[in-house]
Amino acid sequence: MASLYSYLFLSFFMFVIGMAVMIARKNVIAMLLGIELILNAAALNFVAYTRFINQNLDGHIMSLFIIVIAAAEAAVGLAIVIRFFQVRESIHVDDATQLQA
Amino acid sequence: MFDSVLFISSAVLVLVGSLGVLFIKENLMHACVSLLTALFGVAGLYATLGADFLAATQLVVYVGGVVILMLFGIMLTGGGTSNENKFGIEKVPGMGSVKTYIVAGVNVLVISLIVIRIMANVMKDYKAVPLPPYESTVEKLGTLLVTDHVLAFEISSILLLGALVGAAIIARPTRRTN
Amino acid sequence: MNESLISYLSQFEGHQAFVKMASEMAGTDLTSTISFMIYLAAVLAVVGVMATIGGLGTYAERKISADLQARQGPNRVGPFGLLQMLADGVKMILKEDIIPRDADKFMFVIAPLLCIVGVFGSLAVVPFSSGFILTDLNVGVFYLLGISSLVGVGIFIGGYSSNSKWSMLGGMRGASQIISYEIPVTLSIIMIVLIAGGMSFGTLISGQGGFPHQWYLFHNPFTFIGFFVYFIGALAETNRAPFDLPEAESELVSGYHTEYTGMRFAFFALAEYIEVFVVCGVAVALFLGGYKVPFDLGNGEAFSALPPIIGKNIGQFLQLGSFFTKTLALYYVVIWIRWTLPRLRVDQLMTLCWKYLTPIALFNLLMVAVWVYAFEGQSMFELFSSMGSGSSGGH
Repeated sequence: MASLYSYLFLSFFMFVIGMAVMIARKNVIAMLLGIELILNAAALNFVAYTRFINQNLDGHIMSLFIIVIAAAEAAVGLAIVIRFFQVRESIHVDDATQLQA
Repeated sequence: MFDSVLFISSAVLVLVGSLGVLFIKENLMHACVSLLTALFGVAGLYATLGADFLAATQLVVYVGGVVILMLFGIMLTGGGTSNENKFGIEKVPGMGSVKTYIVAGVNVLVISLIVIRIMANVMKDYKAVPLPPYESTVEKLGTLLVTDHVLAFEISSILLLGALVGAAIIARPTRRTN
Repeated sequence: MNESLISYLSQFEGHQAFVKMASEMAGTDLTSTISFMIYLAAVLAVVGVMATIGGLGTYAERKISADLQARQGPNRVGPFGLLQMLADGVKMILKEDIIPRDADKFMFVIAPLLCIVGVFGSLAVVPFSSGFILTDLNVGVFYLLGISSLVGVGIFIGGYSSNSKWSMLGGMRGASQIISYEIPVTLSIIMIVLIAGGMSFGTLISGQGGFPHQWYLFHNPFTFIGFFVYFIGALAETNRAPFDLPEAESELVSGYHTEYTGMRFAFFALAEYIEVFVVCGVAVALFLGGYKVPFDLGNGEAFSALPPIIGKNIGQFLQLGSFFTKTLALYYVVIWIRWTLPRLRVDQLMTLCWKYLTPIALFNLLMVAVWVYAFEGQSMFELFSSMGSGSSGGH
């Protein structure tokens, strides 16, 4: 049966992979995918602790807000990426060298 | 029994999906589909944790919203996967030498020792209590959202509105001046 | 424990006795195994029946369109051409399965599967009758919205991976249309959730009665408007005409499934027709009283002459009939609309969603909240009847 530690392991795994994606990829959208993984790992931790340590639902609320923020972040991030692509015709991180568009 | 099956299958989805995001380099679309797999797995994990509302929210927000947005973004930007920037340089930043590895390793050891030290006190008090049966969290979450957490709720609605307007303004094509 | 098929069955002595006998014979407790077997059978039955309904949908579409255009329609295979569906199915299976050379093979293969998984996943919470619902999740409607948005991903991926301009345009249109129209649809559903005070289909239906004036459709003026908002949005979400821009034949050949052949194409078509059934079923459950009929059938009180077990089962079958009648009536309306109205343009589609339906749905939601607060959740007929004994039942 699944214990707290298995959930923590999965969450850790997702977090580390998300971070690795953030570090290793040079494509902005791929980095956004990594951010999604990281945020999901955090939300999963909150829910797992809620289930196994104390049964009040504050962890669920926290995860709900994490999901909200992840959605907002994805929308704004992709808008920035698309704008970046319009201006520089590239989505490589290293090409973002100017503040002025 | 069914919990275990659901947990194992969701865990496999999460593992495979997140590994796919990391290792599928040729095609960003495939990486995005594998992110979808991982997010599905997380929804399944929420279900095994008795968070029914969160599982459904995960499906609605991620499958219906974020993943489609990502796919759109990939398509509109051509899904370029080359590691070269516009100067044709495939620059992988130097990942350190033996000296930095040693310093980082010592740092990791110290920090993890501190964390374990802190966690040990917490975990000593943790006893594996028999888990409560699954019950609906919808009503309780609704009550909590408009009583204890109403400020965060309102602020997040303002955040979403700001994100909507901001995204629309940023992505709006403007006339080229040149 | 959620209400489900098992909790309905386990109230009969025969089921309990059978479980007990089987457990004694095997020497271990077989309750969960037998529940699993029953679920398996029920799921297979639902999938089979729904696939048949999806197939019959194509037949109905052709026959009704023929009727509206004063033609004959399919009439060669079987009586009235009823077996046309089987002939089409055999043809689809026997066709060569072509994957375009430059297509993205992996995505090309999973796209129809995503569509069909999304649609069949949403069948798990559709309330066929008070006893026959696969599982009455307490987040039922919300789950249905989430799992059915897989169809949008499937359509988009199908369009993208075909590596064809027509498919690409169709897929883009489909995805943008689906995520846009999800907003008014969800707001209309939340409106009903607000009145019923729960998201499970059991709660949603038990708040309504058998007579039309007890339906949520006539609960107050705003739900009446909300029904039409939901219905228009649902038409757009299932890519039905007048919103069938993703597969607009006259501009995009066949839209996102241009490059698909054989069974993969059939999966897309099947998913579309079953999804129409599902959204019609949800409309029935939310607004039109679901499986309810004017006299109480589910507990068998209408058949007090018969033994309770037979009465109950007859009642369940009549409820099934009621649900299917209402749903198929809406299905007819969907097909009728398709062959009556011309197709919208893309800008008109987006204008309709963002400038008309979404504000109307938001306003409806607000006014329903005010109504529920002001009149303590009474419907307008209850208000009228409680206002005066003389003026009861007026509009």
